[in-house]
Amino acid sequence: MRKADRIFGVIGLGLSLWFYLESTKFHYITEFTPGPGFFPFWVGVILAVLSCWLLLDTFRRKPSEADTLRVLPEKHALYRVLFIFLMLFGVRMLMPFLGFPLTVCLFVAGILFSLERYGIFKSIGYGIAYAAVTWIIFEHFMEMGFPKGFLGI
Amino acid sequence: MEIFNSLAGGFAVCMTPYNILMAFVGCLLGTLIGILPGLGPSATMAILIPITFGMKATPAMIMMCAVYYGAMYGGSTTSILVNVPGESSAVITAIEGHQLAKKGKAGTALGLSAIGSFIAGILGTIGLVAAAVPLADFSLKFGPAEFFSLIIMGMLTIIFVGGKSIPKSLMSAAIGLGLGCVGTDIVEGKDRFTYGMAELLDGIDFVVLVMGTFGIGEVLVSAEEFMKVEPIKVKFRELFPSLKEIIQVRWAILRGTVIGFIIGVLPGAGPTIASFVSYGIEKTVHKQPETFGTGVPEGVAGPESSNNAATSGAMVPMFALGIPGSGATAVMLGALILYGLKPGPMLFVENADFVWAVMASMFIGNVILIIMNLPLVPLFASLLRISYALIYPAILIICVVGAYAISTGLFDVGLMLIFGIAGYFMKKADIPPAPMLLALLLGPMMERSLYQALNLSYGSMMTFITRPISATLLVISALMSIAVGFKAVRRARTLVKDEDKA
Repeated sequence: MRKADRIFGVIGLGLSLWFYLESTKFHYITEFTPGPGFFPFWVGVILAVLSCWLLLDTFRRKPSEADTLRVLPEKHALYRVLFIFLMLFGVRMLMPFLGFPLTVCLFVAGILFSLERYGIFKSIGYGIAYAAVTWIIFEHFMEMGFPKGFLGI
Repeated sequence: MEIFNSLAGGFAVCMTPYNILMAFVGCLLGTLIGILPGLGPSATMAILIPITFGMKATPAMIMMCAVYYGAMYGGSTTSILVNVPGESSAVITAIEGHQLAKKGKAGTALGLSAIGSFIAGILGTIGLVAAAVPLADFSLKFGPAEFFSLIIMGMLTIIFVGGKSIPKSLMSAAIGLGLGCVGTDIVEGKDRFTYGMAELLDGIDFVVLVMGTFGIGEVLVSAEEFMKVEPIKVKFRELFPSLKEIIQVRWAILRGTVIGFIIGVLPGAGPTIASFVSYGIEKTVHKQPETFGTGVPEGVAGPESSNNAATSGAMVPMFALGIPGSGATAVMLGALILYGLKPGPMLFVENADFVWAVMASMFIGNVILIIMNLPLVPLFASLLRISYALIYPAILIICVVGAYAISTGLFDVGLMLIFGIAGYFMKKADIPPAPMLLALLLGPMMERSLYQALNLSYGSMMTFITRPISATLLVISALMSIAVGFKAVRRARTLVKDEDKA
């Protein structure tokens, strides 16, 4: 946890610098009121102070039980998380080309087959079922206007 | 008398078949997400928002509220039967509840939990009705300066009371404030942090943030491992505790209700803290505190009453002041804005029918929940046998659909994924995402109040100190910060002394 806190502290410092630099592009103050740069400036300052507080705390505090805990999961768990995230990213990228139902079907079938060790036919079956149910609810009844793919749906 | 008339009017609005159906759907969804580990009420409500776009505000909010308090009922089921809390507020219930279940008294534990939740839910709603109206009347005196000070106090309380680590909670809130700066600013109408992306001109939608950090983030954490649970079986006839057992826990239920409601009203100290405090008090006042941990009924009834009463308490500042006290009420507040309502004291004036109907629905919802929960617990428990592998892809799809629905575009889906991965690492690093969400919601309100207050006072910062209510709120915030700062300094000094000794 100590290492994670240090990383978070550094990220916080980076973000604070970003907020500060962005704030300089706008007026800090107008005649009576704060300008568009006022809030981002102070967010940057506060975040910088807090990041330094967190960083200093990690050097100062005695190692506790929480500090011995792993932040990142074991290799296989990390693989699962990465795989799910990449599949979600795939949904985002492929939906305009494949359309909503086919993308959902591939997403569900892909996760069940590759990650959850379901059989190929069972995975595809669940994929089709999920795609059909979500398409009927969200597209047919609620008319959400999902992108249509090469199949025309 | 006026309150009773308004409440009667609320019942009249709420008692339509459609509104009752929405209360039922909300209760059912709440119970289900309470039972199934992996998704909390905040994420579920956030996911529901885009789905409810086509609905009117009253039935949509009736359903949202029912999800919130329904989750408190459902959370205890998994705690008692599997020793895996479906909800953070049911963590403490697992201690005594699962021990009772192991002794063959699962039905008693579930029954006491449901009865305690029901009593607390009804009394808590009465408390909400009684407290929200005077508070809303009082807050009609608030101007921009008072609202600015109130938001400062609310945010500090949430961070100081709710977070495990103060610097991390504060940083989470500061990042939320920064995210709140994205979009067109209110002073000069300039685009901040948009980098030419038209989708960001209206700012970052809080639904995208909630579904990312709470929805995707929670699912990724849960999906790290295969989840296999084997619940203890319960028979229908075992679900009703004896009269003797109910009488035995009556004071625990009442204590839990009062504690839960008060803690719920405080910003940041939601149902989870309420249940822990209630458990601690029950242990203190019990004649045989050493028996705690072996299956004491008061240790189930108290915390379960407490977390239910806290949900009603948490709605007091949301309805009366338009200031959310927790992640879940922040989602509700965001939903109110999306439905075109203006949260805050004027809600009672401009949308009285809506507020009273929602409050009245909470009485009906609690009745639905007790009817649903007692006889159907064996059925709900059997849902635990459904593999999580089949549930989480569905949750992820609904998150994608929800993000897509906000602007009918894939930009928000991509943004949600970024927040999702951020939420995952935040959870792993024990950084609370709730302050970030609250700050995203409150940040623009805070900036607007500051701008209006200074405009009205011709730029004089003294307006925050010379106005009595604003000054009082700022003094409370300052005292709270000093107290927390003092505690942090004392802790640091102790550490230095310890290291010197070593």
